[in-house]
Amino acid sequence: MKTVRTWCIRILMILFTIIFLYPLFWNLMSAFKTNAEYLTDPYALPVSLNLDNFVAAWQKANIAAYFGNSVFVTVLSTALLLLFVIPISYVLARYRFAGSKLISTIYMACIFLQATYIMIPLFLELQAINGLNNLPVLCLVYAVMQFPFCIFTLQGFMSAVPKDYEESARIDGATNLQLLLKVMVPLAKPGIATITMLSAMGFWNEYPLALVLLTDDAKKTLPIGMANLFEVQKYATDWGALFAGLVIIMIPTMIIYLIGQRYLLQGIGAGGLKG
Amino acid sequence: MVKKPKLFIALCTLPALILTVVFMIVPMLNAIYLSFTSSTALSVGFNSKFVFLDNYIYMFKDKDFVQALFNTFKLMLVIPALTIFLSLVFAFILTQGELREKSFYRTVFFFPSVVSMTVVGIVWSFVFNPTRGILNHMLDLFNLSSWKHAWLGEGKTALWCIGAALVWQAIGYYMVMHVASIDGISQEIYEAASIDGATGVQKFFRITIPLLRRSIGTTYILALSGTINLSFTLSNVMTGGGPNGASSVLLQYMYTQGMRNANFGYAMAIAMFTLLLAIVLAMISRKLSAEKE
Repeated sequence: MKTVRTWCIRILMILFTIIFLYPLFWNLMSAFKTNAEYLTDPYALPVSLNLDNFVAAWQKANIAAYFGNSVFVTVLSTALLLLFVIPISYVLARYRFAGSKLISTIYMACIFLQATYIMIPLFLELQAINGLNNLPVLCLVYAVMQFPFCIFTLQGFMSAVPKDYEESARIDGATNLQLLLKVMVPLAKPGIATITMLSAMGFWNEYPLALVLLTDDAKKTLPIGMANLFEVQKYATDWGALFAGLVIIMIPTMIIYLIGQRYLLQGIGAGGLKG
Repeated sequence: MVKKPKLFIALCTLPALILTVVFMIVPMLNAIYLSFTSSTALSVGFNSKFVFLDNYIYMFKDKDFVQALFNTFKLMLVIPALTIFLSLVFAFILTQGELREKSFYRTVFFFPSVVSMTVVGIVWSFVFNPTRGILNHMLDLFNLSSWKHAWLGEGKTALWCIGAALVWQAIGYYMVMHVASIDGISQEIYEAASIDGATGVQKFFRITIPLLRRSIGTTYILALSGTINLSFTLSNVMTGGGPNGASSVLLQYMYTQGMRNANFGYAMAIAMFTLLLAIVLAMISRKLSAEKE
């Protein structure tokens, strides 16, 4: 009786495994097919691991440039984010000062504010200061959009670290900056790893802001480039490059996820938020 | 406690605060201001007229807006509840069930959450493709060809195709959150229930759901806000709001008004209305989930 029940549950789970994986798997298969193969039977396995689509995507569909932009944006945004977020989270976790409560409250309230709501005023603001189609400026905006969630999470993480370490380091004559960099940062590593991974994936995948803040094709990131390619290809019959592009955009986040699963899932369990 | 290092505190907080003001607070205030003006591409800022609530009043006479509003309501009514329910069931199976391959399911169910919403939109467009789509193909296989539709091309189904993609990409995420909260429930409670002869279904409805009431309240709010926000990307990528606005949602309509038609004032009124709606709904669900404790 018990095994019957276990098997019923297992079949349910396997069914959902197929629902979750099949669309992605189908995409992967199609990326390896020639156009003729795809048109004859979109469900057959590819005859060979044909890389032509990837070559075409990389060379003709401009994916190489989008990929470069995406890497640049993800790395710089993440670096900026950590640079600004670690110090303020530390100070908020350790000191009470005029306005500290207010700052925490404002950031907590802003967690709810999604970038989509303010994308048009941001567009107008950046237009006024000539900041459109400027990847470093976009990175700064990206980093700021992640401030509320990251400060909230990291502050919680740092508050939970016992003060003893800092106190003994202080007795040894460490400066405040040393306390932050040499004592707190190593101790808060799991928290930092979590926000880094969640944010980096968010930056890599971001769509709404890039859509309005980057209008020049040479500056576009992968999600925007792929959406455009999809729009164009809707009326054509050559899907190969599109499928290959979709695989290219998914691979980095999949790798990060599989490597850092533990931190990532922990962070979400602790109340992580989706961008 | 040592003397407060004022300079250090200032150096740590000010850069982040200034950037927050420039790229978050100012745009937010500007959004509120613009929503009371008649700003368009030709008259941004001080050239535009202050029209107070005209934009907000006009909205409800704008048939396209009302359609987007109702579409958003439809999604909000179904998608968060379905997502949270399924994610709870899976979280329960993963924590209390006896499957040895649990961690495999956890890894796989979370996959869609790391995929870009753009990719989710495109991949699901292929699922619903009328001629080569996975769904119509499946229906053929099971001899249900009469159930076939043009899905994204039909007014009746387009919105729910977006809904399906929304649920698909969010389940794993909320499942992981719920796993963490179920782990917080003492295992003894479940054991005691087993001794009393409770079945899995009873444990799910009598123990897990009541004890997780508060955290379900939180995840439900997140799912509501996620539905409003993420439906923008999916609607934009999958259908562009079509056919004839049948799958347009609030933020997508805001984008069309703002970026395509350059009606900044009107677009911001829509954005602020949507934000207000999200906040009010969040407050209501918080209230409901906090009661009866």
